[in-house]
Amino acid sequence: MSLTVARAEPSIAGVGDYIELMKPRVMSLVVFTALVGLMVAPGHVHPVIGFAALLCITVGAGAAGALNMWYDADIDGRMARTAGRPIPRGRVTPGEAAGFGFTLAVFSVVSLGLLVNLAAAALLAFTIFFYVAVYTVWLKRSTPQNIVIGGAAGALPPMIGWAAATGSLAIEPILLFLIIFFWTPPHFWALSLYRAEDYARAGIPMLPVVAGEGQTRRQILLYTLILTPLGVTPWLLGYAGPVYGIAAAVLGAIMVVLALRVHNERGGHRASKQLFGFSILYLFLLFAMLLVDRMSGGLFGQFAA
Amino acid sequence: MTTASETMDEVSKPAANQEPPYHRSPPLGEGWEAGGIKLTPEQQRARRARSIAIALALGAFVLVIFAVTIVRLGSHVLDGPDYMRPVQTNN
Repeated sequence: MSLTVARAEPSIAGVGDYIELMKPRVMSLVVFTALVGLMVAPGHVHPVIGFAALLCITVGAGAAGALNMWYDADIDGRMARTAGRPIPRGRVTPGEAAGFGFTLAVFSVVSLGLLVNLAAAALLAFTIFFYVAVYTVWLKRSTPQNIVIGGAAGALPPMIGWAAATGSLAIEPILLFLIIFFWTPPHFWALSLYRAEDYARAGIPMLPVVAGEGQTRRQILLYTLILTPLGVTPWLLGYAGPVYGIAAAVLGAIMVVLALRVHNERGGHRASKQLFGFSILYLFLLFAMLLVDRMSGGLFGQFAA
Repeated sequence: MTTASETMDEVSKPAANQEPPYHRSPPLGEGWEAGGIKLTPEQQRARRARSIAIALALGAFVLVIFAVTIVRLGSHVLDGPDYMRPVQTNN
């Protein structure tokens, strides 16, 4: 009996490859929404504690991204949008990505628990678990509702930020959660409309692949019609000033117009691309307005009154 | 008669027919004399960059821990540990 020991080649992965594993673009939106959750929470957070909380949330989001790339390496290689990622390109091995992701996940959760508070750490652990185990491993390859349910993972960062500041939760961070939750389907389905062939090739049951373009366009409009009033709710419930309310209404109206164009579009995907691009701006501006409103300490409200 | 340093040199040098000392890692880039891993320049550059990044990340982590500790202790940072405080009596 002979024993064959496989010897791994020394890694050629650079620092940039590991940063890419963390999905920096997704991470930036996570950090921003967590920052808003942290800043709009009542009470004062020491800047150093706030910075430590955001750092842990950032690293936790990066860990989730790395674990997602580790598990999805097979399908990433079959899709044009993701074929250039470090694992399909052969820069990082799946084992390296898994080790990197698990290490960062444990590090970020434990650090957040020790440096900030346990409630925030528990929420961060749940977010990583939900994104990796529930969305990536289970839902993504099994149901067209994958991004609807899985969107909860992307919607949790403002709640983590709020919990980091207060040690508890309230209606306001749940509202922020709901805004991102209902924003996710129009955002991802707009993308999947013009990437449907990619998803079909990889065997991912995205809505346009399974239910067709017509159904996807209807669902995009439906979710946008739920999202738009939700975006205005922080003002209606008195959590934000009228300037935020007006901005949310205008941005929501543009979202509805773009979703209607997607709904009525026949042949071509110009409207889908426009909606996908604007949806990122919509979420960024909505949260930025909330941040400005809170930082101005009600100045907008006094000015408008 | 041989000096002590010459004896040490002879001991530390492997004979020509001996295998390299596997309990010691070779310096980067030199590789093994027989059958080991020899890093390419690209692998060496990547490893060096990763090592520097890990060192910087650990350094930053230590700084964050230090800063948060100071913030959490606040003005109590000057109090010192409990066993160094004077014992208060009822008299």
